[in-house]
Amino acid sequence: MRSIETQGLTHRYSSTETVLNGIDLQVEEGRIYGFLGPNGAGKTTTLRLILGLLKKQAGEINIFGKRLESDRIEILREIGSLIESPSIYGHLTAAENLRVFQTVYQSPASRTNEVLELVGLGETGKKKAGHFSLGMKQRLSIATALLHKPRLLILDEPTNGLDPEGILEMRDLLKRLKQEDGITILISSHLLSEIEKLVDDVGIIHKGRILFQGTLSELQNRQRASSLVAFRTSDNAKAAAAFAERQVNIVSQNGRIATSGLDEEAVALLNKELVMSGVDVYAIERIEDDLERIFLDVIKS
Amino acid sequence: MSFIRSFQSEWLKRRRSLASWLIVVGALFMPAMTLLRLLNDREKLPELYAQENFWSVIWGQNWQSMNLMLLPIGIILAVGLVTQIEYKNNGWKQLHTTPQGLTTIFFAKFAVIFVMALQVFLLFNLGMYIVGVIPSLLFVSVPYPAGEIPFGLFFEKNVHYFVNILPILSLQYLLSLQFKNFLVPLGAGFAIWLAGAISLSWKYSYLFPYLHGGIDFIVGGGQLDLVLPMNIQLLSLIYFAAFTVAGYALYMFKKERG
Repeated sequence: MRSIETQGLTHRYSSTETVLNGIDLQVEEGRIYGFLGPNGAGKTTTLRLILGLLKKQAGEINIFGKRLESDRIEILREIGSLIESPSIYGHLTAAENLRVFQTVYQSPASRTNEVLELVGLGETGKKKAGHFSLGMKQRLSIATALLHKPRLLILDEPTNGLDPEGILEMRDLLKRLKQEDGITILISSHLLSEIEKLVDDVGIIHKGRILFQGTLSELQNRQRASSLVAFRTSDNAKAAAAFAERQVNIVSQNGRIATSGLDEEAVALLNKELVMSGVDVYAIERIEDDLERIFLDVIKS
Repeated sequence: MSFIRSFQSEWLKRRRSLASWLIVVGALFMPAMTLLRLLNDREKLPELYAQENFWSVIWGQNWQSMNLMLLPIGIILAVGLVTQIEYKNNGWKQLHTTPQGLTTIFFAKFAVIFVMALQVFLLFNLGMYIVGVIPSLLFVSVPYPAGEIPFGLFFEKNVHYFVNILPILSLQYLLSLQFKNFLVPLGAGFAIWLAGAISLSWKYSYLFPYLHGGIDFIVGGGQLDLVLPMNIQLLSLIYFAAFTVAGYALYMFKKERG
């Protein structure tokens, strides 16, 4: 079952500025979906539409199989969210901030301490949230989003302002939420490296269009397909001729012979051919683009 | 039930906020000034406190400034500060992703502003009483006020003055929901109030909704000879209804919610 499904979601801020163009987002239940794209790609606009913060202009939004327009309150009861900068009442303490929402969600009073402990803010006491660091505010926002034990968590760039340790903690927390509570998580970021260790599925958006949507392993397969295999040999010219005979395109690289798009079997076969034709092979090395590179390639293409 | 929960949630937000401090300071400002004046004129106090109409004198002195200036300006500021709690803390987007109807959110916040206005009236009346009593406790020569408090009349006037401020509450709420910049509703509010104050003696001055309290007070006290085409409270209620409906419609049709 899909937690979120959008069809043909299109949004314009003016007649000349189309921010989203036919977005078909599919977030499967119980998975972590990384929504990637550079700044200004349309990530936040998409998330704001999904949460009903922006009036929908065209397309369909279904959450938990229900239409957002007709079942807004019922749907929002099961969603926790953090959109852009933290929404924290600076003149209130962390516990008071949570009480504001606990009243609305009707969650038990004990849940306030539970979520504060969960995000590591259990000891903040009477300190006003306005005096918190950005990282602490971010964690308090996550606590607010988790207060009512949502089925779906929508997080827009939640690691903004967090130090490396904070990012690791956040990653662990989100993994735990998925594993232990089965929460579906939609998390946006402009850095693949930041969420590649966390997500199951990836959607890449650029200039208001989805350029890639699939599992992380599908994206990784793309990475393998575009990786280079470099051969260091005793005779590059002879090796190049052998490659040409087998119609393998070569790219010379730092005194080595490099080619792309080879799987492991093809590499072994080429190695055998070279040895049989009297060329000594000193080293074979796979030069993989990192996922960030693939992400940028997808965007550029 | 959802409205009550929403109201409770909104009420929590005003805790320790600037708006809640303004309510206290604004309500007690005039009584405090009156106390200073009474203490300054110490030698005249025994005579004043012996008067039968002592409470009416204190009441009149306090309400004149309150109706004409302090109440309208205080409301303009307080309503702006209540909605700024959301703007300043990026709160609108979180509020609008809670499982509440938009109508509930609109009226729960409005109800908080209403209750805060009631707090002003309560504190102000209490402040006037305490200030009236303090000199008699401080000085042996000053007796407890001789005249009785005309509770019925004061209550009736309080109700009238409260109705008179409703157009300010509703129009300021409308403006504050539409403009993120605090200065816009503040500037517009001051402009409307100032226009009314300048044209107070004009025969159509009642058309300016922010001076209804002032007009009611000075026409009622015989300080201004102005013929009103209708009961000023009725006019206040008409303005209030119109501004509330307009504010609600504009809020409901907003394209962006935080």
